[in-house]
Amino acid sequence: MKSLFKYFSSVKLAIVLIIIITLASVVGTVIPQQKSPEEYIARYDQWANLLQRLQFTNLYKSLWFSVLLFLLALNIIVCTLDRLSPKLKKTFRPRLAVEAKDIAVLKIREKFKKPMSLNPTRELVKKVLSSRHYRIKETQKENKIFLYARKRILGWFGADIVHLGILIIIAGGIISGIGSFRWNMTFSEGRILDVPRADFKLKLDKFETEYYPSGGVKDWKSTLTVFENEKPVLNKIIEVNHPLSYKGFVFYQSSWGWDWRNPSVDILAKKRDDSSFSRKIELKIGERVKLEGEDIEVSVLEFIPDFVIGEKGQITSRSLDPNNPAAFIEGWQAEEKIFSGWIFAKFPDFDRIHSEKETDLIFELMDFSAGQISIIQASKDPGVNFIWAGCAFLMIGLLFAFYWPSREIRVAMEGIGNKTEITAGGIAAKSKDTFTSEFKNITESIRRSK
Amino acid sequence: MNESTLFLITFVLYIASAFFYLSFLFSKEENTAKTGYFFAWAGLIFHTIALIWRTIESGHAPFTNMYESLSFLAWASILAYIIIEMKFKIRKAGPYFMLIVIGLMALASSPLMPKEATPLIPALQSYWLWLHVSVTLLGEAFFGFAFITSILYLVADAKENEGKNPGLSAEKLDSVSYRCIAIGFPLFTLGGLVFGMIWAYKAWGSWWSWDPKETWSLITWFVFALYLHTRIVMGWKGRRSAYIAIIGFLAALFTYFGVNYLLSGLHSYA
Repeated sequence: MKSLFKYFSSVKLAIVLIIIITLASVVGTVIPQQKSPEEYIARYDQWANLLQRLQFTNLYKSLWFSVLLFLLALNIIVCTLDRLSPKLKKTFRPRLAVEAKDIAVLKIREKFKKPMSLNPTRELVKKVLSSRHYRIKETQKENKIFLYARKRILGWFGADIVHLGILIIIAGGIISGIGSFRWNMTFSEGRILDVPRADFKLKLDKFETEYYPSGGVKDWKSTLTVFENEKPVLNKIIEVNHPLSYKGFVFYQSSWGWDWRNPSVDILAKKRDDSSFSRKIELKIGERVKLEGEDIEVSVLEFIPDFVIGEKGQITSRSLDPNNPAAFIEGWQAEEKIFSGWIFAKFPDFDRIHSEKETDLIFELMDFSAGQISIIQASKDPGVNFIWAGCAFLMIGLLFAFYWPSREIRVAMEGIGNKTEITAGGIAAKSKDTFTSEFKNITESIRRSK
Repeated sequence: MNESTLFLITFVLYIASAFFYLSFLFSKEENTAKTGYFFAWAGLIFHTIALIWRTIESGHAPFTNMYESLSFLAWASILAYIIIEMKFKIRKAGPYFMLIVIGLMALASSPLMPKEATPLIPALQSYWLWLHVSVTLLGEAFFGFAFITSILYLVADAKENEGKNPGLSAEKLDSVSYRCIAIGFPLFTLGGLVFGMIWAYKAWGSWWSWDPKETWSLITWFVFALYLHTRIVMGWKGRRSAYIAIIGFLAALFTYFGVNYLLSGLHSYA
């Protein structure tokens, strides 16, 4: 147990872990993550299988990467605990009486005689030190006085505060990993949707896309209303970078699209042997409209923005963009279906109409339009406040560690008649150059003052 | 007068600065270096005006495409150089640093970089753009300086081993590298990682998604964390520290540049 503790308290382990985690992270940016097995086979051929087995294709969420992060966290905890208890002891119960001969071994030191008796010398030294913001503790043994002066003690704990921050961030990461969830909500205007795992609903009142004069998108804005017990309680316009937060949930403007399930379709009816015949019908999905002057009714059952026939012969949409718009129409005559099939906006001469009964009518998909839908990402992340707290510790710790260097000065004074022998020594973990000159200034002003 | 004229004047001033610094390397006359320093200051002033001009004209932060961000990085580098020069008096490293600045300016003015200011896409419309990018790039500028002083260290160390006088002592270069990283590391942590996470949470709904840019920022951060731990805890100095600082800057460079062109991800702006 003790040797295990010792193993985990070594900085060498930290360095090895950091190197491994860094290299693994590099690998994870080179191999595309979380793609389909087919893509890996296309890319890596016979190596694909091995990469997937080693979880290199989902590296950051893999067990072994998590274990590495866990070991690093453990290492940080043990290292910090190992260093912290002697540090705390030194902070709160420092050794006050350090003999001159022990001070004399410090790197930054000075020894001289002051032609002044012990007590006034002590007052002088204390005055000089406290004028430089040192806090002083003193003890006396017969004709010897020991001063222990220090300042910016928090700087000495800077690295520990940084490490605490990192641990809080890792903890927050674990909480997020286990407890957070996010999903997309697809809204058309006016729609109310339940928010999963919440006791409120969300309604999209309005969705609009704003454009710059040059044509680029300026912003997507969704006006949302929160409903609780069927009553509206909150109204907010969200846009990219300005989400809505409510009861631990956050709603983001994530994407948008066309509501192709509810388009308006304009169909042009013509006759094969009568070129003067031309009738336009405006239809919504499921609606049946009579063709003017004819005994035929037409309806649209389905609209596909980017028509394609899949490998298995199934009809799908390749994308959500209207690249190859197609509509499935039906014709009825006295409650009898007489034809049905696909017509295409880009290929007016081509159709896949199936006729049950002879007709000389032909149809073209003339125009179509759809309302916009707003895709809102809802998320709940119980770890996020840990992250911000951890970041705060991290930054404060870095500032203390680099810009609040702690200083420690020990002075041993021995009264010899009406003279005092002064031995002073200083310790600084960081920015030793500035401390060395400060120390020189201090001893110089002790020497000179009367 | 317009922004591109100001940019050109700035570029000329930087070239003048580099010219005087370079001739200082040969002439060893203190005054030539002072002139170089003066031109660096003049360049910084004109560059600042150019950036403000661009901000007013475009109505948004001057780092939303590659041209702008390169120009801003050059500005941050000059700022970093002047801060370092004032603190550590390291004029002999000036010529090398000016060459990097000129490289950045040359890249920015190359025809490959579209210069016109385009309106901001929705994802970039946030004050976090200012905080995230400016602080990160300033941190990277200090890493850049540590990179230069580390290379100069390796050269100086080799010279000292041969018994020659390297001009700038290896020990001083080693210490300046550390001090640059001590400034750059907190800035990079704050701007790149902390502000980045906050902004990602506000814009994408997730504070960390292992996007290549995020991951490479973390890799860069890890390399410098390694530098600090080996140095402060294990007492590494000199050559080994210099190598880590060089690797760290190359990682930062890849985060800034390489990720955009070689890897794809969420962070597809600059």
